[in-house]
Amino acid sequence: MTLLTAHGMTGGYGGMDILKGVELAVDAGEIVVIVGPNGAGKSTAMKAIFGLVHLREGKVVFDGQEITNAQPERLVRAGLGYVPQERNIFPNLSVHENLEMGAYIRRDDIGPALERVYMLFPPLVEKRKQAAGELSGGQRQMVAFGRALMTDPKVLMLDEPTAGLSPLFMDEIFDRIIAVNETGVGILMVEQNARQALEIADRGYVLATGENRYIDTGSNLLADREVVESFLGGGGGNVDTGNGNGDAGSERDAAAKGAGDD
Amino acid sequence: MIEFFNDYIVAALVLGSIYSLGAIGISMIYAILRFAHFAHGDLLTLGAYMSLGLVQKGFIVFMPLPFLVGTLGLAGEEALAPLRMGWHPALTIPVAMVFTALIAIGIDSLFYRPFRKSQAIIMVIASFGIALMLRSAFQLIWGIDDHYYWPIQPPLESLEPFSISAKHLYIGGAVIVLISATHYLLAYTRTGKAMRAMSDDPDLARITGIPTERIVVWTWIVGAALGAAAGVLLGMDTRVRFDMGWNLLLPMFAAAILGGLGRPYGAIAGGMVIGGLEELSTIVIPGDYKSAVAFAVMVLVLIFRPQGIFKGRML
Repeated sequence: MTLLTAHGMTGGYGGMDILKGVELAVDAGEIVVIVGPNGAGKSTAMKAIFGLVHLREGKVVFDGQEITNAQPERLVRAGLGYVPQERNIFPNLSVHENLEMGAYIRRDDIGPALERVYMLFPPLVEKRKQAAGELSGGQRQMVAFGRALMTDPKVLMLDEPTAGLSPLFMDEIFDRIIAVNETGVGILMVEQNARQALEIADRGYVLATGENRYIDTGSNLLADREVVESFLGGGGGNVDTGNGNGDAGSERDAAAKGAGDD
Repeated sequence: MIEFFNDYIVAALVLGSIYSLGAIGISMIYAILRFAHFAHGDLLTLGAYMSLGLVQKGFIVFMPLPFLVGTLGLAGEEALAPLRMGWHPALTIPVAMVFTALIAIGIDSLFYRPFRKSQAIIMVIASFGIALMLRSAFQLIWGIDDHYYWPIQPPLESLEPFSISAKHLYIGGAVIVLISATHYLLAYTRTGKAMRAMSDDPDLARITGIPTERIVVWTWIVGAALGAAAGVLLGMDTRVRFDMGWNLLLPMFAAAILGGLGRPYGAIAGGMVIGGLEELSTIVIPGDYKSAVAFAVMVLVLIFRPQGIFKGRML
């Protein structure tokens, strides 16, 4: 079942369109990864789904309701969680208070949700009373995930969850993302570390210059020489190759868009 | 030693507490609404005048006219007698807090909310306008003379050799109650935690699903109520005057900045430090210049530690 569908998302900041008809879809329990060069509109696409970037055209549907340009409060209630890349914790609140704030909209017992978060992120248990801002980068990221998981979202959106982390923590964060996904939460994430992200992805979207370039399963994208050469930097490692090779895939736009429709 | 306590410490504690209560609102409003609220001092004055009404004329000053006419028609003048009874200043504090908070919410929705998405400087100027309007209103209604809640109080004989009068005990008691209540609110209630979360990061609070406009209203309630209480306490300690709060704006800002903007506990600490330094400075400089101390501290903090003691937001 397709939970989240974004169709023809067009919009940006001020008068400039950063997104030019982007398509995205997440099925229940799926891991979907958005990769692409800097400036491709990956993070913007995610913000647009969450109503933080105004969409001039296009439509976002989540769990049967249209949520185009909706207020975050409504999206959180509907079951969509979002973890921004930066400033994603309340640094002066304790870890426990951060999680409580994540559940602000809930009126029922948050005990089970707290228990699940502490189970998924055991290092947080002994830090619960500590100010979240004092934690290490990896642990802060866990707090950020935990905060967003407190509402039991159906889909969790993660914007570059491993940005700025050391390789050791990166692996740990990827493991946590898989663990979160195994509890039935759909994941939509933007990731610079594209190769590793595509390895765990059910589906991947390659964006460039605000448009879809390729849509396929994670393993197919990794097997596609053109994708690897143009967007995954050929030799492996980090993908951040800038916009230079972005046009290589333009002839495949039409095909990619076709594949995006349900 | 006792002389030092009587001459400086009592005054420092009183002044520091008043600054602390005012600075909490300035600090939270700055962090949550992202503007320097220049009318905050006048909320203190407003609180002080509301208490003055209760002290001099009784609760009747808050009663709407139709209600009074109705009561008169039913039971005659004697029914109003209890409403005309003057209150003890300390008892007026909660009433002044409630009414000042309501007026602050009204000011916010009429004058600040329309500019919520504009640049901060527009809000600052708007608040400056509100400050002028409030001060003019005070002069129109209450005149430019000093008013007193009670006659000059001699030190209590039972506390000899300490020179402490009853008003100091009321002020101290009120401050302890108010700071404890504020701590309870911020540390243990959902709304208080959301206020701290929002003063940490308003954007993240919105993304988290916290109803930010409701928290803004709560911020005004808490900030204005504590400000009003500070005004009443200042009135109890000295006098009530139309510019009493405005004159406190600089030291209260200094306290909020010193403590770290957005850090309520920092504002309390900052208020105590500024109040203490101002009073202690009179050992070495003439008392007329003591308000320069707050200014000097503010400038030094902005240069050397702009995030304040408790790592707040930068101006």
